[in-house]
Amino acid sequence: MELELFSGAFFSALLAIILIDLVLAGDNALIIGLVARNLPKESQKKVIFWGTFGAIAIRALMAILVVYILAVPGFMLAGGLALVWIARKLLTPQDNSEESHLVKAPAASFAAAVRTIIIADAVMGIDNVLAIGGASHGSILLILIGLAISVPIIVWGSQLVIKLVDRYPSVILVGGAVLCWTAYGMITREPMLLPWFEAHPAAKLILAVLAFSIALAPWYNERLSDQMKPLTLLLPAILIWMLGFEVAASVWKVQADYLMATTQGEYLMEAVRWIGWLPFAALLLWVRERLVLRSARLARSAQ
Amino acid sequence: MRLIHRSHRAANAVRTVSPSGELFVASLVICMILSSFGDAVDPTWFGEAGLEFAFFDLGGEFSVLAMRHWHLLELLLAGAVIAAGIMVLRIVAGAFFRPLDPADSGGVEKVPIKL
Repeated sequence: MELELFSGAFFSALLAIILIDLVLAGDNALIIGLVARNLPKESQKKVIFWGTFGAIAIRALMAILVVYILAVPGFMLAGGLALVWIARKLLTPQDNSEESHLVKAPAASFAAAVRTIIIADAVMGIDNVLAIGGASHGSILLILIGLAISVPIIVWGSQLVIKLVDRYPSVILVGGAVLCWTAYGMITREPMLLPWFEAHPAAKLILAVLAFSIALAPWYNERLSDQMKPLTLLLPAILIWMLGFEVAASVWKVQADYLMATTQGEYLMEAVRWIGWLPFAALLLWVRERLVLRSARLARSAQ
Repeated sequence: MRLIHRSHRAANAVRTVSPSGELFVASLVICMILSSFGDAVDPTWFGEAGLEFAFFDLGGEFSVLAMRHWHLLELLLAGAVIAAGIMVLRIVAGAFFRPLDPADSGGVEKVPIKL
């Protein structure tokens, strides 16, 4: 789908790309610093230039490639599912600052340093280009404009980005929501699933809430009391249960819409769909309660 | 390592986010879900059931069904408007209900109204 130039949709997609670039940007400066720290002073400047250039070039190439890869049936769905997980990881609190595992040791030569920087950027940027590919709606122009805006910010303005997200952590939450929204859009645009979504429109709503309930779980989990914590598991599970009935209805050609139900069997299926999850939820809560009591007993006996 | 992880506050955004920022993002997410709701329902079905006006055409000015066409910019704007509205309501409601709270029995000022 090609977006009309300078339309509301165009600027919205561009904003989504910039937001995604900001929240999923890799720490190139740290990688370059780690790789080049043992090289001579004159080589360090060259490594910074060529490493940055190579990283930008590989990022642009990957972003354009992703647009073509996402056109292959099935990849839009896989990309959307991956984005939900990426959004969840983005919002998961990081207690200790993780060390970069992409750089094992400082490089010994100029070529090795540039190669390491480019490979590290390519690995760090996979999630970024996937999200950009989904948000761009297949527009190469949007990807290039997004890169042209965001790359200078990330390469030369990393301190500005850090200051921004440090002052306004809600930018990260907005980024997570936009990633999730992009994932929902990618899954519903999947060519293989388009006819199914048209036949089962309610599945779109279930899917949207499911995507948000999984991706934003770290956020609402922080706000829930201990008794309410199982909601982070129960809510997605119930939504998957509902979605499962939509899938079953199309696989076994049965009526899953309660307004269309006519036979006793169809009414029974509706009953199972809406209240059948209750015993499983009760069982989960009971098992959780037992486990909590058991661990408390063990802790008491250990004292 | 992500760039945002250089900042402790950003790496723990779900814990360090301000209440107003949180309200804005929650409003944005609600708008996104409403938009997907507009995308999911069949408008003709609600028209047949006579529910379109009751549920979706609030005062003839705003329709949840129309939100299916909304872009991110519109959703962000709507989220900001909802968040601002809720904050104003909270302030007004707080100003209204605070004088109704009984004063601390051990406090010096037992009557909370100053003349």
